[in-house]
Amino acid sequence: MAERSIDTDPGRSSLSGAALPYNEMQTAEGAIRQHYLALDRRVATLEPEDLAERQKTLERFFLLQGITFTVYGAESSTERIIPTDLLPRIIPAEEWARIEAGLTQRLCALNMFLADIYGEQQILMDGVVPRELVLSAPSYRREMQNLFVPHQAYANVCGSDLIRQPNGEFAVLEDNLRVPSGVSYMLANREASRRTFPGTFRAAGVRAIDRYPDLLLTTLKSMAADWRPNPQVVVLTPGVYNSAYYEHAYLARLMGVPLVEGRDLVVHDNMVYMRTTTGLRRIDVIYRRVDDDFIDPLTFRRDSGLGAAGLFNAYRAGNVVICNAPGTGVADDKAVYAYVPEIIRYYLGEDAILPNIETYLCREPAQLSHVLANLDKLVVKAVGASGGYGMLIGPHASAKERADFGDAIKADPENYIAQPTIQLSTAPCLMDGEIEPRHVDLRPFILSGDKIVVTPGALTRVALKKGSLVVNSSQGGGSKDTWILAADPKDAQL
Amino acid sequence: MMLARVADSLYWIGRYVERAEHMCRLSDVMLNATLDRTDAAVQVARIALAAVGDKNVDKASSPYDAAFALALDRQDPGSITSSLALARENARQVRDQITTETWERLNLIYLRMTGPGAAKAFADGSSAFLHDIIADLHLFRGAADATMSHGEGWRFLLLGMYLERAELIGRLLKVCFGDARRGPIDDHFALTGLLRMSCALEPYLRRYTADVQPRLILEFLMFDEDFPRSIRFSTARIEEHLAAASRSAGHAGPERLAGRLKARLQYADVENFDLGTASTILNTVLDECAAIHTSVYETFVAYSLEMRLPA
Repeated sequence: MAERSIDTDPGRSSLSGAALPYNEMQTAEGAIRQHYLALDRRVATLEPEDLAERQKTLERFFLLQGITFTVYGAESSTERIIPTDLLPRIIPAEEWARIEAGLTQRLCALNMFLADIYGEQQILMDGVVPRELVLSAPSYRREMQNLFVPHQAYANVCGSDLIRQPNGEFAVLEDNLRVPSGVSYMLANREASRRTFPGTFRAAGVRAIDRYPDLLLTTLKSMAADWRPNPQVVVLTPGVYNSAYYEHAYLARLMGVPLVEGRDLVVHDNMVYMRTTTGLRRIDVIYRRVDDDFIDPLTFRRDSGLGAAGLFNAYRAGNVVICNAPGTGVADDKAVYAYVPEIIRYYLGEDAILPNIETYLCREPAQLSHVLANLDKLVVKAVGASGGYGMLIGPHASAKERADFGDAIKADPENYIAQPTIQLSTAPCLMDGEIEPRHVDLRPFILSGDKIVVTPGALTRVALKKGSLVVNSSQGGGSKDTWILAADPKDAQL
Repeated sequence: MMLARVADSLYWIGRYVERAEHMCRLSDVMLNATLDRTDAAVQVARIALAAVGDKNVDKASSPYDAAFALALDRQDPGSITSSLALARENARQVRDQITTETWERLNLIYLRMTGPGAAKAFADGSSAFLHDIIADLHLFRGAADATMSHGEGWRFLLLGMYLERAELIGRLLKVCFGDARRGPIDDHFALTGLLRMSCALEPYLRRYTADVQPRLILEFLMFDEDFPRSIRFSTARIEEHLAAASRSAGHAGPERLAGRLKARLQYADVENFDLGTASTILNTVLDECAAIHTSVYETFVAYSLEMRLPA
C-alpha cells in the first residue's frame, strides 16, 4: 500500500476497556475493506496539497450556494459553512439492503402505532405499551384523536439515526418523526463529492439520490390526491432566521412549489389560502417545517407567530393535509423508543430487523437503581430534550457532574432514560491535511405516503472533535457524503 | 401566480441593486474628480452627496472619507454595503424563486463587500474596487436576464430596478438644475461629472458631440427614447412590466399611473422646454414615482383581504 493512504488507526479509543469501535474502512487486521479499495488507491495518489485544494473547492461550493449559518459578532457578522468532509463514507449493497428492509418495517409499524393510539388504542388496552407513558408524553396531541389521516401515513418524512456497533451491526439510536432535517446536506454533499472524486464515483456504481425532491412531492401529493385531482403543495418555513432555512428553500425550489411563511397564510371558512399577487389561492397540502407547538396559535401555543390561526381546524375539517401530521412526536419519544421492538412484533408479527440500543427506563424502579449504580458507564438522556442537549455521557463526565445528574434523575425519574455508551463506528476524515478516524452515525431518510420509500442515500454525521461521540451540528458536528453502492454497478443510475 | 411577499422581495432586490450600482458610480466620479481640479472637485462631491440625500455638505471637503463611508459603512442604511446586504437578504427570503446562477452572483458580491478584506481592497484601489462591484452587478443582471423565466417574478425585479432608476436620475438632475439658491451648474467639469454619474458620457457624446450643455444633458437624460438610463426609457419599462403584472391581477391602478407618467415624458414639448420647466417636470416625475410605489404595494402586496375572499 502507498505511504499516504487513508490508513486509520483502529486502536485509538477514548475509552480504555470498552469494545473497539468498528472501523468503516479497515478490518481489525488492518486490511482495507473491499468497498473502500478504489477510494484508498485514489487518495494515495494525491499530494496533501491536492487534498487541501479539493477541500477548499468543496467549501467554496457550499459558501457560494449559501449553505451557511450566520455568526453574529460585535463588529460584523460572518457566514460560516457547516463543516463538510471531503472523503465519502461507503456502504456496500448487501448491508444497505438490510438497512432498507429494517427502516421500512420500522416506519410501517410506527405509522400503525400512531393510527392506533390516535384511534382505538388497542395496543394500550393490550398492555404492550404502558398507557400513562403514551398519554402523558408532552408530544401526545389529544387534538389528533379520531382524526382521519390518509393511508395512515402520519410520519411522511422520517429521518432515523442509525449507528454501527462494534460488532459491525447497525442499530437504531433514534427515530425522528417530527420535522427531521438534513436532507439538503445529503443532496449538497453528493453534488460536491461528484466533483471531488469523479472517476472513483463513476467506477464505484453509487446509487443516485437526485430523485429525492420528486419522490417527496409525489409522497406529499398522494396525501390529498383522493379528493383533489392536482393538489397545491407548499412548504411552510418559520422564516429566514431559522437555522434550517436553506433546506426549506432548497426543497421548495427543487419541488417547484411555493415556500410560504405563516404570514402568507389565511384561513377562511376552514379553507387555507395563500396571499398571491393575484389574490388568494387555495392550498391542499402543507409540508410544514414548523414544530407542532407553533402551527396554529388557536389550537397550540398562543404566542406563536409562525403558523396560521385556524389551520388545525381546517385540517380537522379535512380541507388541508399537514405533513408530518401533528402529534407524531409521541412515537419517537425517548421512552416509547424502548418499546419499538414490541410495537413491531405487535402489529407486524415480525422481529425487528434493525435492533434497538439497550435502553433503561428510569421510571421502572429496578432499572433506576441499575442506572444510578452505573452512571459512569451509561449515557443518560432527558426524554424531552433533543439535539444533544440535556445529556450525560457518563464515562466522560466528572464525579460532580455525575452526582448532580444523579440527583436530577432521582427528582424526576420519569424524565430520563439511559443507554450503554456505544462506540460509534469510525470513518476516515480529512483533518487539517491529515487523514484521521472520526466517529460517525448515519441518518437515512424515509418517505411514507401511499407507500414507503427509502432513499438510497443518507447523511453521515461526523463528530469532528477527536474521540468525541457527539455528532449533532449544534455541538460541533459536521457531515460527509454517503455512497450506497449498487449490487451491480450498471444499475446505479436506475 | 406568485406569493405577495415574494413579489415584494423581488421588487426590493431590484431597487437595492439599482441603488448600489448608482452609488458606486457616484462615489467613483467623486473620487476621480479629486485627482484633477480641487475647486470643481468640491462641487462634484457636493452634487454626489446631495444626490444620495446627505445633508452634511461639509463632507464634500474630504471626498475620500465620504466615499469610504458611502461604500462600506454598515451602520449607515444608505451605504452601498447596506444596500447590497438588504438585496441579498431579500434574495435569501425568495431563494426558491430565483435561479442558482442569479443567486450566486449576488451572494458573491455580498461576501466580497462584507468580507474581512473589503476595507483594505478599498484603500488599495478605490476605483478598481468600485468598478468591480459595478461589473459584478452587471453580471447579476445578465444572469437574471439569461436564466430566470421572464414571467411575473422577473417583472417585479425589473419594476423595482426601473422605478429606482427613474427616481435616482430624477433626484440627481434636480440637485444639479433644480436648486433655486445655487442656480444650475454650468461648469464643464461638473457637467461631464454629471454625465459620468449617469453612465451617460459616451452615449451623450455620440448623440450630441462634445458640445456639453445643461439643456442638452437634460434633454438626453429626461427624454431620450433609447438611452437605458433616461427617465423616459425607465418609465416606458415601468409601464410595460406593470401592464403585464396587472393583466393577470385584473387591477389597473398602478398601471394607469405608470401609463400617464410614460405619456408625460413621451409627448413632452422637448423643443420648447427650458431649465425652469424641467424643474417642474422633475418634481412631477418624483411625485408620480412615489405614487406608483405606493400603489404597487397596495395592489399586489398589502391588499385588503375583504375584497379578495371567495364568496
